[in-house]
Formats: sequence, C-alpha cells, structure tokens
Amino acid sequence: MLSLTWIEELQEFLHPEQIKRNDSFHPLGNDGAVTVYPQAEEEIAAVLRYADQSGKKVFIAGRGTKRGFGGQREQADILLSLEHYAGIVEHAAADMTVTVKAGTVFGDLQRALAPYRQKVALDPFWPDEATIGGVIAANDSGPKRLGYGSARDSVIGLRIVYPNGTVIRSGGKVVKNVAGYDMNKLFIGAMGTLGVLSEITLKLRPLAKYESVVLLSFPSGDVHDIRSFAVSFLDTMMEPVCFELFNPTLAERLTGRPVYTLAIGFEDVENAVHYQEQWVERLRPKAAEMAVLAGEEAAAFWRTFNTVAPNGRLAQAENGIEAAVKIGVVNLDVLSILRESVLIADRCHVRIEAHGGLGHGLCQAYVHGSEEGVLAAMEELRQAAVRLGGYAIVKHLPFSLRQRIDVWGGKPSYFFLLEGIKRKIDPNKTINDQRFIGGI
Amino acid sequence: MRKRSIATNDPHIQALARIVGERAILYRKEDLMAYDCDGFTVHRHLPKAVVFPTSTEQVAAVVRYCHEHDLPFLARGAGTGLSGGAIPLNGEVVISLTRMKRLLHVDLENRRAVVEPGFVNLKLTNSVAHRGYYYAPDPSSQYCCTIGGNVAENAGGAHCLKYGVTTNHILGLEVVLPNGEVIEIGGNGVPDPPGYDLLGLLTGSEGTLGIVTKITVRLLKNPEAKQTVLAYFDEVEDASQTVSDIISAGIVPAALEMMDQTAIEAVEAAAFPVGHPKDIAALLLIEVDGISAGIDEQIDDILAICRRHHVREVKVAQSEEERARWWANRKTGFGAMGAISPDYLVQDGVIPRSRLPEVLREIANISRKYGLRIANIFHAGDGNLHPLVLFDASKPGETERALAAGSECLKACAAVGGSITGEHGVGIEKKEEMRFIFTDEEILAQTAIRDVFNPKNLLNAGKLFPTPGRCVETKMPSTVK
Ligand SMILES: Cc1cc2nc3c(=O)[nH]c(=O)nc-3n(C[C@H](O)[C@H](O)[C@H](O)COP(=O)(O)OP(=O)(O)OC[C@H]3O[C@@H](n4cnc5c(N)ncnc54)[C@H](O)[C@@H]3O)c2cc1C
Repeated sequence: MLSLTWIEELQEFLHPEQIKRNDSFHPLGNDGAVTVYPQAEEEIAAVLRYADQSGKKVFIAGRGTKRGFGGQREQADILLSLEHYAGIVEHAAADMTVTVKAGTVFGDLQRALAPYRQKVALDPFWPDEATIGGVIAANDSGPKRLGYGSARDSVIGLRIVYPNGTVIRSGGKVVKNVAGYDMNKLFIGAMGTLGVLSEITLKLRPLAKYESVVLLSFPSGDVHDIRSFAVSFLDTMMEPVCFELFNPTLAERLTGRPVYTLAIGFEDVENAVHYQEQWVERLRPKAAEMAVLAGEEAAAFWRTFNTVAPNGRLAQAENGIEAAVKIGVVNLDVLSILRESVLIADRCHVRIEAHGGLGHGLCQAYVHGSEEGVLAAMEELRQAAVRLGGYAIVKHLPFSLRQRIDVWGGKPSYFFLLEGIKRKIDPNKTINDQRFIGGI
Repeated sequence: MRKRSIATNDPHIQALARIVGERAILYRKEDLMAYDCDGFTVHRHLPKAVVFPTSTEQVAAVVRYCHEHDLPFLARGAGTGLSGGAIPLNGEVVISLTRMKRLLHVDLENRRAVVEPGFVNLKLTNSVAHRGYYYAPDPSSQYCCTIGGNVAENAGGAHCLKYGVTTNHILGLEVVLPNGEVIEIGGNGVPDPPGYDLLGLLTGSEGTLGIVTKITVRLLKNPEAKQTVLAYFDEVEDASQTVSDIISAGIVPAALEMMDQTAIEAVEAAAFPVGHPKDIAALLLIEVDGISAGIDEQIDDILAICRRHHVREVKVAQSEEERARWWANRKTGFGAMGAISPDYLVQDGVIPRSRLPEVLREIANISRKYGLRIANIFHAGDGNLHPLVLFDASKPGETERALAAGSECLKACAAVGGSITGEHGVGIEKKEEMRFIFTDEEILAQTAIRDVFNPKNLLNAGKLFPTPGRCVETKMPSTVK
C-alpha cells in the first residue's frame, strides 16, 4: 500500500465512500493511485481545482470501455470516474432534444428515449457499457454513421468543467446555433484532454418505423465485384443507413460464412424498406448471395455486432494480445484496406477481423495474435492507410505495447495549433496528460 | 478593374500591388465605396484597399505582408453576410476571394467536390445536377453567396432541417493562418482526422481564425421523390402548433417554413407572387423527400395534422413548376420587404420548437411597443426565427428603434433557452447580444481560442465578441455559478 497522505485532502469535498485507493494497476494503463466517484458537477469541479492547484494529474473515465485507447502514462494521481454521475437532466420530447449527465450508459439513454419513439442517432460499440461521455470524448461511431452522422452532428450543447474548475457551456439547447465559435466541436473526440464533459445536450431523431439489414455475401472473394456493385448501388437514390463491408474473418464470426459480406441497412416505413431491398436484389451480381434480416432480427444482429470490438472492461485475452485500429480513408478505399487486412493477417500470422463503411470511409480492424505479430500488423495497416492518403490510430492496446507504437501516427503539420489550444485550456497538463495526439 | 498603373505613394499599396498585380487592387476612395459594408448596411467603413488574389500563394503573401506590417485585414466573399462580418471596421485590407472561383475536382463515386472559396454555392449543385447529385446547404442567397463565406458563417438554409448546415458537409479545408502560413485539414476528405476538430472550429468562426482557400465538401444524391405542401392558417397559433406536432410526430421534413401576414403581404407585392390569400394569418411551406414508397404516408400524416389545427386550405404541389414557384416566392422573401418598406433589418434568433407560439406572441408585443412592423419569415422546423423589422432610415431615430426592437427579439429568444443567431452569425450586429447567452468566462474561453490562431488580432478584429466590460478580468476567473 502506498502511503499517500494527500488523499486525506480529497475528503474536504468528497465523502470517504467516494474515494477508493488502488493497490494494483490495470494492464491497460490510464489508471490512478486513487479513484474518485463524484456525483455532482461541483464535486467534479472541486477535484479538478484541487488537482490543478496542487500539481496532481487526473485521468478521466466513464466506465472504462476505452481504457486501452491512447495514453502514455500507466497511472495518474487521481482517476476521476463518472460512473456515479449519471441520469437524464432534461428530455424535451416535443423539441426532440435531451440533456444527459456524462456518466449515463449509452444504452440506458436509448431505452429511456424509446417510449417516446426517439433516439440518439449514434451506434457506438458496447452501448450497454459505454457511457455517453466516453462515446463523445472518443468520437465513437459505428456502421450507421453513413445515415446518422457522427457525434459532431448530434451534440448541440455541452457543459464542460475546465481543468481549473471553471464550468463553461458551449452551444445550447437549440438544434441550430452559430453564436460564437462552435466550441462543442473542440471537445468531441478530444479524449478528455481539454475538460471533463459534465452534461451533454443532443438532438434526437425519431425511431425508425421499420428496419432491416441485407447481408450480401461475395463467395468469389473478388473485391472488383464488390466495388462495381457498390458504385452502382451508391449511385441510386436509395438511402441505406449503413453500407458496411466485413472481411471474411469477421463475416465468419457474424454470419458463419468466411466470405466478404456487405451489410446494407435500411430504416424507414416498411414499404420503403422493402422497396430498397428489391433494389439490392436487382443490382446484385449473380454470384452474390443475399439474406435479409428484418425488424427484431436486424436489431439482434447489430447487438452482436456491437460487441465484436475489444472492450477495456473485459478481462484481457488469455492467449496473445488484442488490439483495435481505426482507419480513415476516402470512402471506396475501404475496399483496399479490407483486402489488405486479409493479406496482412497472413503475413503477420495474426487474426484480423475488419469492417469498413464504403459510404463514409472509416474502418475498424481487430487484431489478435502474438505481441510481435500484432505490432507488425498494426504497422502494416497504418502504411496501407497512409499510402491511400489516410491514417490509422490504435484504439485499444495494452499499456506496455503502447510504448512501442505511436498510437496516433505522428503529428499533423498544424500540430502547433492543437498544442496551443491545449496550453490555453490546460496549461498545467492536469487532465489526461499524454492521452492524445503528439503527447497532448 | 480599370487598366492603369498605381497612382499612390503609399508603400503598402505598392507592395500589395506587387503581390497581386496592379489590376487586382483597389485603393481609390471612389472604388472602395462598394466595400464599405456587406448585407448589414447599418455600419459602414472604408477599407484601406481591396485585393483580388487568384491563388493560395497570393493570399498567403498578402496575409504575410499584413502580418509583418501590422496592417489589419479580412476576407470577403460575395458580401451578402447579414451581420457585418465583412465590414472593414478598422480600415482593413480586404482580401476578396471572388477571383478564386474554380471548381477544382468532382468525385461522385466518393461523393465529394473540391472548390475554391469564391465558388458560388448554387453553381456547385448546378455542376453536378446532371448526374443527380447536389450540395445540400441552401441559403436563400445561394445564387450569389460563396462557399468560402458559407464556411465562415456556417450558413444554413431551408433544407437544413433534414440535411444539416454547412458544418455537416465540410470534409476538408485549406486555410491561410493570420501569419501567412498555409495549413490543410482533412486533406482529401478523409473523415475524423486525428486531433482536435479544427474543421468544426473553423466553420462558423466568421473569418476570425484564418482565410479559407480551398474546401472539400460532401455531395448528396438527389432524393428519389419530393412532395411539397402549402398550408394556409387563420391563426398564427394554429400554424405554430402544426409545426410542433409535425416534429413531435417523428416526421423529419426536408423543409418546414413559415411566413406571417406581413411577410405574405410583402412577397405578394414583390417579384414572385403566387396568389397567397392576403387575409390569412400564416402559411406553412412543408417539403418531405426520400424514398417514394414512404412519402405518401408522411404527406397523409402532415395533412391530418394541418386539419387538426383548423387549416383553412392545404394543397400539395401538382408539378415541379408549381413547387419551384412556391420556393422562389419564399427564397426571395427578405428582398421582398423592399416592396412594402424602405428599409428592413433581419434578425436570426433560435428557440426550442415547442416555444414557437409564445415567442411569436412576444415578437408581436415588441412590434407594438416600438411602433414598427415586424414580418416573420423563417425556418420554423428548426426553430430559427427571422423577424424582419421594417423601418425608414430617413426618419430620425427610426434606425435606432429598429435595432433596439431587433435586439429585444433576440432577448425573447434567449429567455426561452434559445440562441441569438442560427445562421447569420454575430458579426458586428449581435456582439453585445452574446451576453444574453454567454457569461464573461464563456466569452473569454472563446477569445482564448482565437488568440491561438490570431494572436495579433489583425484578422477581422472587433467582430463576434462583445467589447470587454469594465468588470471583466483579463484572466479567467475560477468559477461560474
Ligand atoms: C437575401 C439574403 C438571404 C440570405 N439567406 C440566408 C440563408 O437562408 N441562410 C444563411 O445562412 N444565410 C443567409 N444569408 C446570409 C449570407 O448570404 C450568408 O452568411 C453567406 O454565407 C455569406 O457568404 P458571402 O460569400 O456573401 O460572405 P461575405 O458576406 O463576403 O462574408 C461573410 C463573412 O465570412 C468571412 N469570409 C468570407 N470568405 C471567407 C473565406 N474564404 N475565408 C474566411 N472567411 C471568409 C468574411 O470575413 C465575413 O466575416 C442571406 C443573405 C441575403 C442577403
């Protein structure tokens, strides 16, 4: 047990049961000598003010699904957990907006909105464990990003606790707003390096009356077939909410068949959904096989899908290392990345499950294997992305290996601006120090 | 521009002329007059000069020169901004982007296009329409405003209700920073470039963080079907309630616009009348689009909601020609005020949609209080009001009264948890009104970000943020209640 006398000082603004000393550190890092569980914004502010003034470092966590995402320090002095800072502050159903505390579990929020036939238009991974704050701070999105947009398209207002304890509001509660700088954007995807998201206001969308997902599998394995189908389908006036390609390894897990598979999702009134399914049928290459999952079957499919990514809350893989890589390229280049994922898995003797959206350009690759194999595969994936003018960032990796690969893949030419922003808001590097790009 | 050599001893003018060429600079008073204001005509100030660069390199060289010589400068697109963002308050060197107007690249397979900042909004849609694509943000000024100006203002439009505003369609930017350095963010349009979301920050920064010289935008495929409904109401209340009910019924119309009686009087007296009855209290213009198989159901629902709220008459456009006439009538609505009033001031408040009835009542009270007519023509679906205060600048004191009435409308919006601007920006006009919705600390948090990009504050100074009050400290205090 470490003797940390300063921990007593936390009791000036927290109850003893809100403070937990940690004896051992998590293999994913981003841990704290002590974990604190604030239940009110003032308590968050008090913790930050205390830390900022006394030179302590603070890491911020929701429920820890993204603990393996970035971070060059194994532990800070304080791990600030928002697990007990949860709940809906205001649901203005008639205005289709909701304000929610950052520690609210994403799935809980959706379940509370569902009786009103409303939803947050986001499909993050692990919705029943991830908090809305973490989803926004890490800018997580899934295949339906094509139809839904991402966090930056849904968040309309934030209350942020700055590292010095000041509470700043950005945006507001209305769906359209250009008053001042669009400060919301700074905090979305900032990995908690600029402030603690306290309350988040989102605009909502109506729940679809009907949904389906068409699974189109391509046994030939020829990506040219997939490309020409994709180009012709995306040139129609159909409105898929997702157009996601699975590599054979992932397709096997999800559908039982190890062949490239497209998941094309539709959400609309029932007529319109069936009409669009018929378009898929009409345009599909002869050799491609088509299956339709409708209604609850489609929902169940996505529930399974949402748990394929590594999750920082789960026990570490027993045999070998698990990693996740997010890759951004121009839309159709997703095809090249998925093809590469198959070749790289072979070359590096690892297992890679990968998927990517041909309508938005983001891919995720889950790599499983030996330490050296995983590191080599991630490096190759990155090279493939960079060759296409894209990038790759590591979303999940044990702490020890994060020392051996640049999680964020180098600094952009305008890094000085990012650094400048960090310096203005968090001059003492109090919060989430070294969690983000270029060590900010 | 006229052909002639530079006839001034001002070394700055001569130096700038060397960068852009003698035919690409204005500096005589009579030439500068056209640049003393934008669409917000209440304030005027002459620029020092206007330059017309044709390349990013020229923009960067001009900016570098201004930076080194401490000359204030700002960017200007078409000058249609309604909040004074392009007004050279400090005698700026105006950098007009109107000669950087090329469409650089179209990639329909990946649904994107790359344009120079001076490219006119509507031209983009026109350039890809033959393949069934379009650029979604559609400000009413789209036939002349520039995409660079749209990025700076985060412009919206009638169809932003379903498809989002400018920021939702920007994939990449090339920007000349206030010291002349050129950066590229989001490059070829790859989503989520690692790092803080500078694309999102720059969009809507009203030309105070950098000058945009290249823009990668998202293109959309035309919807398969589109239906447009026009509904006439005898009570504003009923029209407002219809808006609320459409939204809460889970219908997401492509557009949901409202005009009140004064607005209708104006549009019917102007260039594109469509024969709206003059005695109705309000009309709604509602458009739904999407997969044709799903449209009829939505139209039926909308018609039922209209009827539930005592609509006098409701009709569905029978042809593309009829639909186009309805939209021309709506989109020229601001200018139409000229038909019934010598001057008008457009306001741009936003409110939670369910508060529409009470805020419209409050605006009617403000109109009575100031003895000025206020027309309302606006994006009802997203709660973005445009009260148009009608006045006569030649009558002493009326301009001031109009400004005060406009400000009070914004106060009414702020009072119900709304915002002071939904798409026109703060500019000069609404600087002080920023205090209606932000604390001093929150304003300082924003200017702190400006200082990262624009530390000398030479670029478009004096816009967007209120003049610091005496009580405001220069460093950030530690708490806010
Ligand atoms: C009749 C009418 C109707 C309108 N309707 C709408 C509407 O429906 N929706 C809406 O949102 N707006 C509307 N507007 C407002 C205006 O058209 C928009 O704000 C538009 O985006 C301004 O574009 P512009 O090219 O005219 O920019 P300007 O007015 O020239 O400039 C606007 C601001 O942008 C800055 N700027 C311009 N170009 C650049 C650049 N390349 N880089 C950096 N900063 C730059 C300027 O410094 C200034 O601060 C309307 C205006 C009029 C007159």
